[in-house]
Formats: sequence, structure tokens, C-alpha cells
Amino acid sequence: MTQTAQDMKTYKSQVKAALGNRFLRKALDNFASAYKASRAKAFEGIDLDALKGQIAEGKDQALTQLERLFLEFKAGAEAASAIVHLAATAREANEIIAKIGRDNGVKTIVKSKSMTAEETHLNDHLEEAGFKVTETDLGEWIIQLRHEGPSHMVMPAIHLSRQQVGTLFSDVTKTPVDLEDIDRMVKVARKELRPAFLSADMGISGANMAIAETGTLGIISNEGNARLTTTLPRVHVALVGLEKLVPDLSAALRIIKVLPKNATGQALTSYVTWITGAVECAASPTGKKILHIVFLDNGRLELAQDPVFSEALRCIRCGACSNVCPVYGKVGGHTLGHVYIGAIGLILTYFYHGKDNARAIVRNCLNCQACKSVCPVNIDLPFLIKKVYGNILKDEGTKPAKNAVLSAVMKNRKLFHTMLRMASVLQKPLVKKDAGVLRHLPFLFGKAHDFRTLPALAEKPFRDLWLKIRPQIQNPRYRVALFGGCVVDFVSPEQALSLARLLVGHKVQMEYPLGQSCCGLPAMMMAEEQTAAEVAVQNLEALEPWSYDYILVLCASCGSHMKEGYSRLLAGKPEQAEKLRMFYKKLTDFSSFMVNVLKVNPKDFIRNRTKVAYHSPCHLCRGLNVTQEPRELLKTAGLNYAPCKDEDVCCGFGGSYSLEFPEISSEILRQKLDYVEATGADVLVTDCPGCVLQLRGGMNKRSSRIQVRHIAEIVADNLKNP
Amino acid sequence: MEQNELIDCMKEKAGLVQAVVSSVGCMEDVLRHAVDVTLVQGGKTIAAPGLGPENLQTLEELCKAEGLMVLRPPLGPHLSEIHTALTGADWAIAETGTLVLDSNSEDLRIATMLSETHIAWIPASRIVPDAVTLSAWLVDKMKSPPGYMSFITGASRTADIERVLAIGVHGPQELHILIMEET
Repeated sequence: MTQTAQDMKTYKSQVKAALGNRFLRKALDNFASAYKASRAKAFEGIDLDALKGQIAEGKDQALTQLERLFLEFKAGAEAASAIVHLAATAREANEIIAKIGRDNGVKTIVKSKSMTAEETHLNDHLEEAGFKVTETDLGEWIIQLRHEGPSHMVMPAIHLSRQQVGTLFSDVTKTPVDLEDIDRMVKVARKELRPAFLSADMGISGANMAIAETGTLGIISNEGNARLTTTLPRVHVALVGLEKLVPDLSAALRIIKVLPKNATGQALTSYVTWITGAVECAASPTGKKILHIVFLDNGRLELAQDPVFSEALRCIRCGACSNVCPVYGKVGGHTLGHVYIGAIGLILTYFYHGKDNARAIVRNCLNCQACKSVCPVNIDLPFLIKKVYGNILKDEGTKPAKNAVLSAVMKNRKLFHTMLRMASVLQKPLVKKDAGVLRHLPFLFGKAHDFRTLPALAEKPFRDLWLKIRPQIQNPRYRVALFGGCVVDFVSPEQALSLARLLVGHKVQMEYPLGQSCCGLPAMMMAEEQTAAEVAVQNLEALEPWSYDYILVLCASCGSHMKEGYSRLLAGKPEQAEKLRMFYKKLTDFSSFMVNVLKVNPKDFIRNRTKVAYHSPCHLCRGLNVTQEPRELLKTAGLNYAPCKDEDVCCGFGGSYSLEFPEISSEILRQKLDYVEATGADVLVTDCPGCVLQLRGGMNKRSSRIQVRHIAEIVADNLKNP
Repeated sequence: MEQNELIDCMKEKAGLVQAVVSSVGCMEDVLRHAVDVTLVQGGKTIAAPGLGPENLQTLEELCKAEGLMVLRPPLGPHLSEIHTALTGADWAIAETGTLVLDSNSEDLRIATMLSETHIAWIPASRIVPDAVTLSAWLVDKMKSPPGYMSFITGASRTADIERVLAIGVHGPQELHILIMEET
């Protein structure tokens, strides 16, 4: 069994080992592609956003009254001869269940799939207590035989090949198994597990929903094992997390409408079972099922009261946050979770399994927002992951040195910019002339970082150039301020110069307010909220939102952080509210401004039909919800846009992420560049300078002929009569 | 939706999850179908919990003629012998091709879970557009416990090995739906 790493050194070696597993990567990659298509098909004709909102709202309401719902459920279920327990801790739940077994003379137990039972490590406890426990879900049975934990919440054995399963089955059955024939393997499980069902004294299930109004359990399953588990043995124990309580059937039906579709793209699971009370059961001495329902608290009641983290309890365990996570796709669930896996796992581990198990894995998030956008209950997963990271830093009382340095520097814009200017001078011996890149990496970077070239800092930052070139427009159509962000200002000023050219051509007066600083996202990524909040105030002050018609960003990450992060960071500062409101009204990304405000016209551009592929930055397509405008702009600007596979999947940059986990970043980038090369495009265009840095560095490293450009640059180049 | 649209939708959606859907005219067709399917599959037994005395007698006669056996309740002693389960369904949900079975009877549960093939008939008039339409009926059932309600959509399935779809894990390997269309 993989032990969850408790320190970064161990964790990084686990990551490396996982990246070496080629089968795993291929399996997860195939799944990720197939999943997207089948999910989209399953939700056709359904107003998913409305449904998500309803479920989230319903869950939030239920979470404020869990204790009342529990009592209501208990009253209903006990009136129907069930016995309802509430376990404060995982250990208590396990002990209650073991006692039920002893009290009823149980020897053998069949179990259907339950993540809650994984959470409490129920099997270990029951086996130690002398019971024979057989997992009956095919995937769970496989990993039980291998003494592993699940690597996905819905498909526990997705990390295994058919050959591995076939070999395992032939060992277990002492009969040869065709290592290619999956159908036969499934039949082996059917045959092997049937006697376990028929002879079991007790069945243990989880539940997907617990309906308070009637004391009803709702259980979904595909294989039919949950039905057998709850029918054949004389005792049935359901172990249910308290957050599964819903007020009524309508709430439960809404969850069912979303859960299978979002989990695997299935319209509905083969079976949905609704159990209310103790039904007839010939094997029981009373002729009635002995039914115990054990609700698990294990921190949930406290979590439900938490103003920030309570939304994590909305989770309905669909596993979609793993399905779309680029990091999960490279390292798999044993390396991206403890018991709970994927984005939600990084959060829940801290609450259910402690900071030691969360410490390392919680840092493995790109903040690409893919999980957030696929979550059926609108949990802001990337935000909560950073919050957990912040809590762990707080709990431990010792922050990494880089946090202290970053905070000190970032809070002081002048110091920060002076350091960047000094670095620009100091880097000179390393810079490859005329290429704008570093010849080799500074000594403090290891070999793992060598998957991309790094750009040199610009000789002159944009803010210095701007003072000399600032154009003055007579009777401008609009007055706009550019928020450049660190990369545009100090690494890629040519992107802002391109914007300036385009704006002159369209009679727009641009300004570059010099008091602007870093947007603060890097501080957020390091869980330095205080610093991020101070920087936000500085920027709002510097950008004078009341003075401009629009505030433009060339960097989607800055824009997305400002749009979403600032209101959160400044929630406790009512004096900023009016400025913030104005700021939001005016904040616009480059492509949206060109297409929706300036309504640029094809006749303003040379039509050279250069073949371009497009990378959709995470923080543009998900952070700012801008998807159509850049593609439209490419076409308007006379370019030949060639669609590419997985355009909206992260490039692996993630700011400091790519420094923390270079091996994963490099692997995600490799795949991205492979897809781009497959389009036959001459230029790869994107609209985030961070992505440009990553993508260009990667293309350089593989000596590709494909250029990587910010969309502002290539559009400006095609402008007629500049 | 009009009834014929509901029927078409039910057929389409159930077909998508590998259920075998046919239209029949009367109960005799249903019984005949159960016998035929059992014979084709080389099965020997049919369990038909919930079948009324008259139909049960007809079924037994049909089976006798073909050398098949009808397993009489209680099914507890026959757990490993059930080839075909023949049951009615209380409702069908067109949106997902789902059958709804009040499964309070343990014999009905045993038959529909442990058989190789499950054949269920449903009057066309009992097909509803979606689960929400059945809310009141379901809540009513849940309020008069004990209760075990099943939504059944296609045959038992898994994709746990390399995500390859395989039909027939722990439940029936085939699901046949017979829609009784009133003429």
C-alpha cells in the first residue's frame, strides 16, 4: 500500500516513480479524453448551471441543519425498525460496526463500495476483530486482493492493466485466466463472489443520500453488488457520512440526475436503491432485516459551521475533479490523495486524516481551475486547496523561507521593482544574445528544470519604455489603463508595445499607471493572503478605476485573480468596496476588448492566413469565462485558426508550481506541445504571458519551428497601416 | 409527451444501456416470451414472484410442455438455481430507460438480483417522462415503510478493468423489457 508522503522529499520521489508508470499515464489520458466527450453528451439539453446552483444551494441549506436532519432521519428510520447510530469519530464508527457484528454472531461480511468506509479504514478494523470481510465491487475487490487503497473514488482500480488483474485472478483462483479477456475476468469475479454473498452474515454498504423526511437510504451502483449486499445477509449496516443527509426526495433526485453523468458520463447507474427501514428477510430470526445505520461525524459537524470550508461538504463523490485534473492525469490517485483523491481529496485529507497526510499533497495543485469548473456542486476547489495549505503553514508555525522573502518584497513595490532591475543587470552573463533567453539555468536550479528555456528579463521594463513612447491621441474613442503584470512589464514588454500599437490604430488613449505592482496571485499561491490583500489595495489605488473607460489585462492570470480574488481578499475592507465595484465594471481582457468593445473589422488587417494553433489559458477560459473572443479575433485578424486537441487543458505552468514540481509541469507541457505540433500550425498563440513563457520555453527546448506568441503581438503584426 | 413518444423514448434509452426492448400485446405474449428466452439461453428455470394464480398456471403449463421448471416462492432455497426472473414493473421512466420496481418482497429482490436474465413487463400507460413525475408515488411508498424501491436501468455492468464496459457482473446479465401496448 502506498503510504502518503508526509514531507516534500518523500513526496517528490513518489511523484517521480508515478511519472515512470507509462501504463498509468496512458490509461488516465485515454480516460480523460473519453470522459469529456461522454459527459458533454450526457448533459445535452440540460441546464447544467441551473441544476448545479440548485444542488449547491440545497446542500448549503442542509449543512446548516445537519443535526436537525439527523434527528428527523433517525425518527423516520427507527419507526421503521432500523437502529440509527451517530459516531463521533472514525474509530467509534468502526467499533459500533464491530459490536453489531459480535452481537449478531456474525462471522462473514460482504461489503459494497463505500468511500466513507475507506475513510474510517473499516476493513482493517473488522479484520483485526476477527471478521472475514469481502469487498464485492469489482474494483474494490481487486484492490483488496492487492492490499491497496483506491486510486479513484469511482473507479478504484483504474491504475491497473488487464494483465495485472488477470494475473491476480489466476493467482487467487488457481486457474489460468486469459490476460486479454476482460469479459472473462468479470465472470471470474461473478463466480468467485457469489458464494460470499450467499453465505455472508452481514452486509455493509455506504449510501449516496440519506433522506431525512422518510428515513430512507439512497444507494447507486452499477454492478448490482449493493443490492445483493443489502438483501441476502440477515444484517445490513449502512455507514453514512452526515453530509449525505438531504431533506427530501426531490433533493435526492436532483443529485441522482447529476452524479452518474458527472462521474462517468452515464445517464444513470444500472441500479438506484431506496431502502426505508427493515424489510422482510427470511435469513433473519425475526423474519425482518436487522438494519443498522451508522452516521459518521468525524469532524463534519464542525466543518459544516466553518464559513470558508463548509462548502467542501457539498461533495457528492463523483470523482470528476480527478477526471479533469492534469496533475491526476500524470501521477494518478495514489500520488494525489490519501484516502479521498483528487482536488477534493487534497482538502478533505486535512480535515479527516490530519495535516501530516495533507502536508505534501496539498502543494500539488496547478490552480488551473479545471476541477472547479467541472464540480457539480460549485465547490471552489483550487481556492480551498490554497486555504488548506495556508492552514497547515499556520498550524506548523514555521513558514518556508521563500514565503517570508516573497511577502517582504512584494508588499514594497519599489523594492520589488528595484530587485527586478538589478536582476536584469546581473543576469547579463547568462543571457544568450539576441535570443532573449538564458543560455543555461542559474546554478540553483536542478536538472529537472531543464525542460524549457527561461526567458531573460527585458533590458528595459515596459514602464521605462512607456515613458518615452507614450502616444497622445486626439479625441480618443476610449481612455484605457493597462494593468501589465510582472511578466509583461519585466520580461515581455513587447506584448504591451503590441497592444499600444493596436490601440493607436483604433484611436484609443492608453495609459500605464506606474503605481501598479504585482497582482498578488503569487502570494495567494503561497498562501500569503495578508500580502495579497495589501498588494490588491495598492493596485486599486494605482489604477484609479474612476479615471478610465476600461482597465485592460494582457495576462489572464492577473485578470482572473483580480476579478475573483480581490473581492474575497478585501471583503473585510468596506472602504475599498466602491473602488472595487468600479474596477470590476471596467476590467477586461485583451481579446474581449478588441472584439466586443472595439468591434475590430477584418478589413483593418492583412489577410496572410498564417496557420495558428491556440492555447486557451486556464485563467481566461475558466477564470474569466472568455472562450469565443480570442478565436474570433484570430480569424478577424486574417489568421488561419487550426483547432487543436485539449486547447483548454493547462500548459503546466501554474507560476511557482512549475518550479516546485518541474517533472509534472514538463510532462503536461510535453503533451500540450505534441498536440500543437500535430495541427501543423506555424504559430502557437495564447493570451497569457505566463503560458507564453512556458510554451515558448518548451518549443525552444525541442528546437521546434513553431513560434509562440501572445495574441496581442500576432494581431498587431497583421494590422494594416500601423 | 404523447404516449407514443414516451414509448419511443423508453425504447431508445433502454436500448442505449443494452436492455432488449420489445412490444407485446397481452400477458400470454409475456409468458411465451419468458419461456422462449429461457429455452434459447439453455436455462432450466423461471421464477415469477408476483405473478397472479391464473398467469402462474398458464406459465407452468407452458414450461411443462418445454421441460422447464417454475420455481415457486419462497425462493430462499433456490438462490443458485434461478435462470430467468419474470416480473412486472410498477413504472418506467422514459428519460433514462429505467424500470421502477417496488421490491419490498424478498422473493422479488432475490429473483431480480440472482437470475441470469431478468424479463420485466410494463403497460405502456405506466411509462412516465422522468423520475420527478413519480415523486408523489415514491414519497408515498417511503412514508409507509418498510420499503425497498429499485430503479433498474439496463443489465448489471462494470467498467472497473481498464474502463472497458462489461455486462453482467453481480446482477442479471440480460434485461428484457416487454412493453404492453394496449390496442
